[in-house]
Amino acid sequence: MALLEINNMTKVFGGLKAISDVTFSLEKGRIVSIIGPNGAGKTTFFNTLTGIYKPDGGTIKFNGKSLVGLRPDQIAACGIARTFQNIRLFPDMTVIENILVGMHIHFKQSPIQTLFRLPGFKKEEAEAEKKAARLMQYVGLKRVENELAKNLPYGAQRRLEIARALAAEPLLLLLDEPAAGMNPQETEDIIRLFRHIKTDLGITILLIEHDMRVVMNISEDICVMDYGEKIAEGTPQQIRANTRVIEAYLGRGAVAGQHEEKMQ
Amino acid sequence: MISSFFKELFNRVNRGYWSYLIVIGHIVAGSFLVYTQPRSNLAFLVLMTSFMSLYFFTTSLRFKLIAAVILALVIIPIVGARNIFYLEVIFQISVFAALALGLNIVVGFAGLLDLGYVAFYAVGAYLWAFFGSQQFYMLHYAPGTAPAALPFFLPGDAFYMFLVVGVIIAGLTGILLGLPVLRLRGDYLAIVTLGFGEVIRVLANNLDKPLNFTNGPQGITPIQRPTMPDFAVDWFNSVFGGVVGHNVSAAVMYNLMFYMFALAVIIVIIFVTRRLDDSKIGRAWTAVREDETAAIAQGIPLVKMKLAAFAVGASFAGVMGVLLAASRTFISPESFSFMQSIGVLTMVILGGAGSIPGVILGAATVTILNLQVLQGFSLYLNELRQSDAVIPIINFAWKDLSNQLDPAKYQRLLFGLILVLMMIFRPAGLIPAARRKRKIDLEEN
Amino acid sequence: MIRFLKRINVYELVRPVGQMVLFSLGSAAFMSAIAISLALALDGTAVGASLMDKYNVSLYTYTMLNLPQVIIDGLTIGFVYAAIALGYTMVYGVLEFINFAHSEIFAVGAFVGVELLIALDGMGILAGASLGMAYAYLILAIILGMMAAGGLAVAVERVAYRPLRGASRLVPLISAIGVSFLLQDVIRLVESLTSGQFNRIMPTFGNFDSRIVFGKIAMGTSKLTLGISVKSIIVIGSAVLMLVGLNYLVNATRVGKAIRAVAQDRPTASLMGINVNRIISLTFLVGGLLGGAAGVLYALKFTRIDPFVGFFPGLKAFTAAVLGGIGNMTGALLGGIVLGMLETFAGSYMGVFTMGAAGSEYKDIFAFSILILVLIFRPQGLMGKHVMQKA
Repeated sequence: MALLEINNMTKVFGGLKAISDVTFSLEKGRIVSIIGPNGAGKTTFFNTLTGIYKPDGGTIKFNGKSLVGLRPDQIAACGIARTFQNIRLFPDMTVIENILVGMHIHFKQSPIQTLFRLPGFKKEEAEAEKKAARLMQYVGLKRVENELAKNLPYGAQRRLEIARALAAEPLLLLLDEPAAGMNPQETEDIIRLFRHIKTDLGITILLIEHDMRVVMNISEDICVMDYGEKIAEGTPQQIRANTRVIEAYLGRGAVAGQHEEKMQ
Repeated sequence: MISSFFKELFNRVNRGYWSYLIVIGHIVAGSFLVYTQPRSNLAFLVLMTSFMSLYFFTTSLRFKLIAAVILALVIIPIVGARNIFYLEVIFQISVFAALALGLNIVVGFAGLLDLGYVAFYAVGAYLWAFFGSQQFYMLHYAPGTAPAALPFFLPGDAFYMFLVVGVIIAGLTGILLGLPVLRLRGDYLAIVTLGFGEVIRVLANNLDKPLNFTNGPQGITPIQRPTMPDFAVDWFNSVFGGVVGHNVSAAVMYNLMFYMFALAVIIVIIFVTRRLDDSKIGRAWTAVREDETAAIAQGIPLVKMKLAAFAVGASFAGVMGVLLAASRTFISPESFSFMQSIGVLTMVILGGAGSIPGVILGAATVTILNLQVLQGFSLYLNELRQSDAVIPIINFAWKDLSNQLDPAKYQRLLFGLILVLMMIFRPAGLIPAARRKRKIDLEEN
Repeated sequence: MIRFLKRINVYELVRPVGQMVLFSLGSAAFMSAIAISLALALDGTAVGASLMDKYNVSLYTYTMLNLPQVIIDGLTIGFVYAAIALGYTMVYGVLEFINFAHSEIFAVGAFVGVELLIALDGMGILAGASLGMAYAYLILAIILGMMAAGGLAVAVERVAYRPLRGASRLVPLISAIGVSFLLQDVIRLVESLTSGQFNRIMPTFGNFDSRIVFGKIAMGTSKLTLGISVKSIIVIGSAVLMLVGLNYLVNATRVGKAIRAVAQDRPTASLMGINVNRIISLTFLVGGLLGGAAGVLYALKFTRIDPFVGFFPGLKAFTAAVLGGIGNMTGALLGGIVLGMLETFAGSYMGVFTMGAAGSEYKDIFAFSILILVLIFRPQGLMGKHVMQKA
């Protein structure tokens, strides 16, 4: 059984179909990319999946459970973690606190334990701190645990956001343009990180990405969207060869990609 | 320039024994000044600011605790017993500090702008006012028509029970109000809480019919206080009588007692606040404040967390309301106006939202400005009015100054100025909130 | 001349008038129907009996006798609310920010207008003024109030809001609350220093207090008088004029197009060469002008003003803006009229219908209850579109 099964998902904004009848399924343990031109509905797809928007039609099944009608926090508790296109950290909290917030759903401390600092509380906090510190190392952050998140450089903020998402120990990780604004070296590092996440932690990854080097490099499957519809799905090789995709996207994207490379 | 000069100076002095010497010197100087000049506002300020030296200078925790206890439990009661005006100022500072700390949970931690916070204070106050007075037997009498010799519904000692009841009822009121409105965006929430504050005030004003619950604008009096054992007065007089210089009456002793109660509530609030802040709940509150969308994506239930903050904040206001009703033995709707809510908000903003020492400093500053500076200015103007003094250049005789001009009533000006200036120049407050630094050992390294 | 007329967008002049008539008649009919049916239902009960005891009149007759005056009063205050509400709604539309100090802008307008008239009265000019001159003075007072309020609104934006643009949402809101409080006491201070008291009374002059009576209808032993006071006509008339003018400005001129563009998407509007800061200032100016005029009209209607006079009308106007759908100008108009009607009906009839248990003293919190209900059940308001939060 697939980890995520979406059937005919539709989302309408004032008469405009931002997502139109998308059917999509994702096997456990894979890395899959969603690509498409700007405004194709990719981020809306994420937002509908995570419950920020209510779908106007269709079914979403995750790990055997229907997600339609659940609140975003309930969906997160089901095992879906995400990052945002325009990094959304908690800017005035420290790095380690950001990661601890990511573990929110796993904390078991009761108010009584909290108020009186009972052993259960202390143990849980100490373990959480250690786990958070390990996660920092895992995503390649230096020992900056007590820095405020807003004071981190851009690349480190992206990494922190990934660490915060991993802290929830999700089954599925949604990454919204994780390589945006990164230089080639950083991009390569982050590709390596995603492979590790998949192999070490067994987490399924679904990512939206514009950078074709990333997409073609790590995706096992690619899903192409345009005007809110899924227009193609397949391995990178198949997508490269798909005329409809080239028409809609790759033609322009390839040119843009070369152009970008020259700039750098 | 100037601030960096002071910072440099402070760092030079804040070393080793120097800091201890300065703090002790400050406390002793303050106590001495107030003792020798019991009517001087300046002397009182010197004593009150010794709390700030105690906070800012680096000394050991044990020293800080002992000094704070001596200041709060010995020096201030003596000063208050010698001059009851100071006692009133100190009591008000404590009450407002407790309220501001409660509001700080809502505004500072969870980022919910509550403009009707005083409503929960009113709930607590009217709760004890109703059950701790004769009001229960006045239900069927219009205000002013009740016979004089009605019994009291509950004994004064039920006050202690009502401290808990106040917490529960105010907390429940917070949840009931919060349930529908906490889904709203922040700025709407502000207006709705404002409206709720007004609703409570209008109800307090008008629920004297059809059944007389609140006695309308005249308010409820007398409200009972818990009994105080006779020996308490005697004991205080025998121990401190010599230092105070005269024997204190039971009335003053009551005021001291309520000051102690307020202090106890403050300590409980600080305890709860700090423990919650550094836990799953506190982190979730801060996360919600910083970015709701990101917070909910981490699995934090927004409405539940906001409700919790709202209820905790409301509970503290409730217990302070019970305390207020008993200490004043009189309450009326006037004490719970929108301006009071803004006053408490001003304390939080001035001191620094989310910062416990900041909020206490804010409460003390605003209360002192309000009670001593504005009122002192009023007295000064009155003196001028009675003199033959003339403003030189424009040739204006102080005698002709309108009697309507009474600076003591210009709290709105004070609050408004503080709010605007803080937002523009120092939005994080006088003592901005700081995050806790953690030390983590990873054994496998 | 004809070319000039051709360039006028007649549709945008007629449309708002039509809406106003529709909203007024609709809400009047709706509220009257409720009041009359309640009266008929309660007539046979203890409520009707107690009224009969006291005044020897049936509940139905009582309701009908008061109805015309209640509707006129409701409309009058409704149009004042609508004029203030437009200030809130325009600023919200452009900046997504509740201009909490708008109620004091309104109060400043009222004070400037009333002070001018008091000064004229003190010079003996008003007493001997012909009817035409009386109207001229009133118009002068309104214009002066508008200018003061408009200028103040722009100044407040420049000093207390603009430096905070880009900060988190609550920062400018708290600043606005501060400005609101500050201005209340500044008005009080200025009035105390200059006139020795801060409660001011609108002088009586002209024929504003007289009533135009259309006729009488016999109802049992009492007579139902159909009439309207000149004041109410002036308030409603001026409000209608201003609202039509504002609607024209926003929907049929180049400047209006710029305002709408900035409201929709500030960065893009700025890329299109629109001076965003100037448009925002303009929005505050227009809102302030309307608020100031509403202030003078309010003083004309209710006579007495004090430095805190803006608080309740301001909150109610904000409620009206939310009720109609904040950011939506037609909505503010609808919300103002509906709220004015609801409040006046409740204030006039609730006391009788509940046998004195709850009367007009609850009038002020009536608006808040509506606000809370609207926000819970229809947060986008009666005419607003549902806006999704961007992720």
